[in-house]
Amino acid sequence: MDNKFAIDLQQVHLSLEGNAGPVDILHSIDLQITQGSSCALVGPSGSGKSSLLMVMAGLEQATSGRVTVLQEDISAMSEAELAQFRRGRVGVVFQSFHLIPSMTALQNVATALELAGQPDPFDRARDKLSALGLAHRCDHFPKQISGGEQQRVALARALAPNPKLVFADEPTGNLDAANGASIVDSLFTLTREQAETTLILVTHDIQLAQRCDQIIDLRDGRICESTDA
Amino acid sequence: MIALKIAQRELIAAWRERLHGFRILMLCLIFGIASISAIGSLRGAIDAGLNSNGRVFLGGDAEIELTYRLANAQEVAWMTGQSLAQSQIIDFRSMAVAPATNKRLLTQIKAVDSVYPLVGAVTLSDDLSLPEAFAGRDGLPGAILAPALLRRLKITLGDQVQFGQKNFVVMATLLKEPDNFGNFALGPRSLVLTKDLEGSGLLAAGTLFSSKYRLLFEDGSQLGKAQQRFDKDWPGTGAKWKDARKASPGADRVIERMSRFLILIGLSGLVVGGIGVSAAVRAFVAKKTGHIAVLKTLGATPGQIFWIYTIQITVYTGLSVVLGLLLGALTPFAARPFLPGNLAEVALISIYPSALIEAAVYGCLAAAIFSIWPLAQTEHIRPANLFRGGATAQWPARRYLIVQGALLAAALFGAVQFSGSWSMTFWLLGGIALSLLILAFISGAFQFALRRIMRGSAFQRQLPLRAAFSALASGSERTGSVVMGIGLGLTVLAAVGQIDGNLRRSITQSLPDKAPSFFFLDIQSTQLPEFNQRLAENPAVRNVETAPMLRGLVTKINDRPAAEIGGDHWVLRGDRGISYADGLPEKTKITAGQWWGAGYSGSPQISFAAEEAEEIGIGIGDQLTLNVLGRDITATITSLREVDFSTAGMGFVILLNEAALRGAPHSHIATVYAEASAEIPILDELNQAFPNVTGIQIREAAALVTGVVSSIASAASIGALATLITGFLILIGAAAAGTAQRAYESAILKTLGATQREILTSFALRSAMIGALAAGVALGAGLLGGWAVSHFVFENQFEIIWINAALVILGGVGLTLITGMLFALGPLSKSAATELRHRD
Repeated sequence: MDNKFAIDLQQVHLSLEGNAGPVDILHSIDLQITQGSSCALVGPSGSGKSSLLMVMAGLEQATSGRVTVLQEDISAMSEAELAQFRRGRVGVVFQSFHLIPSMTALQNVATALELAGQPDPFDRARDKLSALGLAHRCDHFPKQISGGEQQRVALARALAPNPKLVFADEPTGNLDAANGASIVDSLFTLTREQAETTLILVTHDIQLAQRCDQIIDLRDGRICESTDA
Repeated sequence: MIALKIAQRELIAAWRERLHGFRILMLCLIFGIASISAIGSLRGAIDAGLNSNGRVFLGGDAEIELTYRLANAQEVAWMTGQSLAQSQIIDFRSMAVAPATNKRLLTQIKAVDSVYPLVGAVTLSDDLSLPEAFAGRDGLPGAILAPALLRRLKITLGDQVQFGQKNFVVMATLLKEPDNFGNFALGPRSLVLTKDLEGSGLLAAGTLFSSKYRLLFEDGSQLGKAQQRFDKDWPGTGAKWKDARKASPGADRVIERMSRFLILIGLSGLVVGGIGVSAAVRAFVAKKTGHIAVLKTLGATPGQIFWIYTIQITVYTGLSVVLGLLLGALTPFAARPFLPGNLAEVALISIYPSALIEAAVYGCLAAAIFSIWPLAQTEHIRPANLFRGGATAQWPARRYLIVQGALLAAALFGAVQFSGSWSMTFWLLGGIALSLLILAFISGAFQFALRRIMRGSAFQRQLPLRAAFSALASGSERTGSVVMGIGLGLTVLAAVGQIDGNLRRSITQSLPDKAPSFFFLDIQSTQLPEFNQRLAENPAVRNVETAPMLRGLVTKINDRPAAEIGGDHWVLRGDRGISYADGLPEKTKITAGQWWGAGYSGSPQISFAAEEAEEIGIGIGDQLTLNVLGRDITATITSLREVDFSTAGMGFVILLNEAALRGAPHSHIATVYAEASAEIPILDELNQAFPNVTGIQIREAAALVTGVVSSIASAASIGALATLITGFLILIGAAAAGTAQRAYESAILKTLGATQREILTSFALRSAMIGALAAGVALGAGLLGGWAVSHFVFENQFEIIWINAALVILGGVGLTLITGMLFALGPLSKSAATELRHRD
């Protein structure tokens, strides 16, 4: 194949332990996402979208099946190997931002760069924050800034190491329409600026999904439809 | 009462959750209350034992003690007329010699009559009775020796022992001597019949001995009246009265002071527990912010909210008090097998309500004082906090501060009342409060400094370090509570260790450099020239000082009772060594007044020790009445002298002119400075030449004193450990409370690519830093305390005891590190996805 796949899932199954026994979250997922493209995961609540995103990001180990990310099989990697793998390659933006509360905005972003082993992490972090209009918030803690600003810091953190893969789990879920739109615009703009960066996002917003190259519709842990936008 | 109903509902819910969130609060209180009630109960047990067995410990209903002499005929007639039975005991120091090996040892001889003991029973080995033991064998009278004496002289039953110039046969081992409770002696006990000492050369005129006359009254309950008759009929005799109401005042005083001291240390544990209570209540209120905001939205008033949560805290406090008292009351029962021999015999283990009440009062006050501030914060929670997160901490309203102030004043008042000593309470609790303030300040300064340091780019390269610093600086690790909690316990441990170590060092290391090798007592005037000659001929002897020695009691100052002027000063308590001199003794420095001059024979004059004179409040021109051998001598203070007791050498507080004591029977004492290797031969030679002379080896006496000091230090250290354990509970509470935060932080760092090792390193660093901070401050405070006590109280050179310092640092760091790591493994093992999913 000429088109390299950023993500290649084969017969991926995910089962998690619940209070009443194991719960099957994902069933026999076969999925390929081309490198440099954008993909939206849509579906009703509880369909397994976030779980699928976690598996692809290496944050959740599939129960069975094969998960190949950026041409590497991560199915059998240990926690430490996965952590090393994520450095500089994977950026994640969460619905609830998930910034480290005891670190400033600058430190939150710099931490990602530092782990990625990139030089001058603080200068780069400052540049990224400035690019997102947050130069004046560098020394503020998460509790000192608004939700929209927190999400932009999270975005800066995810994108600063120039990762090849960017995952966004309902990035606008906790934001108002204006902030949400701004975040989405920044997300698409910045990922497109970076060559061969693949964007995978989970969303309930159809309009947002339609901005992506590929839409994957999940129901009850299975892919019921995969369309190219 | 809506508040009561809502509080009840919340209590039931908390009970279903097995009091999650309140366990540390309760444990802190339980432990503090249990410590105080256990100490109080034990003290009550010992007091009850002493009071109910007063006759046995005294050996009679009453005792009249004379120093240096026996009762005269008139005094004997008085005692015979006033009591049903009497028994005479003569108590003095001497040397016990094993004739076969010539080994000699200091012993405290108790010479008794055939009536002894009037009350109680002495227990001997082999079930021998006293008459059987005293009967002796092979024409030699019998002696009874303490096990330690037999062991150190390396003799057994049936062997001979020599006292003075007379041999005895050892008939039995002394197993139990009830009338010796609480008496401190330099040598182990020997028991003989007084009449058997005839011909021994001991008890010559001028020998230092005390004679005790035990009395049995027809009505043992009228001791107060008996004492009144004694006070009326025995004025100016120098005799001392003791009765079964307070059989062992010396021991009583020591036990009283030790227990008060330990209770105050126990209070420090409760103060630390209070910090734990405050932290737990704060966390509780923070957790309930949303709940409180909803209640206010529904119309609950701030007062109702306050009472809802105060009622709950009161219930937990009540439960803790009950459990703490139960534990404390039962502790003496459990501890009985481990009590030292003497105390185990005395203590009447039972439930002592006053001790429990004291502990309960302290516990309730501590809980109230430390929980009122966070409870008052509920007033600042607004319904808007539902949308904008928790309320920021503010100062409580004035009325809460007033109540807290009143509670603090009540606690201080209670502490003074219960301890009976405002000065001890002030110094100890003041020290605790100061230590806490310093710890809190240092903790705050540390966090401030961290925030400044973190801005430096050079520092920021190390992720684990930065993550640790940022967590500490943000306050999410509850640095303040933890530092104060374990810091105070470590401070007390450090202070006790430094003081104890320096005191022992001065006794065992620097004292031998300046102290004499020996004190020799009971040297008769006729023996003195030969005594001095023998020592002068010995090249190993560096110096010899001699002085005449009598004992006397200061009965009046300026014609008023001495205690009225000088209070409870040690010089006025009991009889003192008194000497006389004609010319100014060598190396004596007069600091005020004038020496009487050689050959002076006018009215009696006194040269008094300057420091002690200042403490008592007397000076040049004041008149002292001394009772010496039953006679009153009134003399005027005409000079003050510098006397340095720290050298353990010759030093008399009171010196009279020679003429004042002319004709009074007395002996001489000598201090001998010799090379260590020559000490035993010198002792052997002098004791053989002068069997009546007692030699006290300072090295051995110092070891005995060191043992006593160590026991006190151990007791204080145990008290400090109790405080440290409470601090440890706070540490556990903080670590447990931080688990969720650490799990969250761990999940985020994992998404960014941090390995478990890097995250664990960060957790370890923050724990170690908190421990190092607490230990560092504690050590500083301990060194300062140690220096202050060494310099101002013992007037010694202070040196850092490095072992103690290292233990404090290692202890602080180790404790926090191990606890931190134990509570880090859980958060670290959680899957990042699971954790983040829960948060979304």
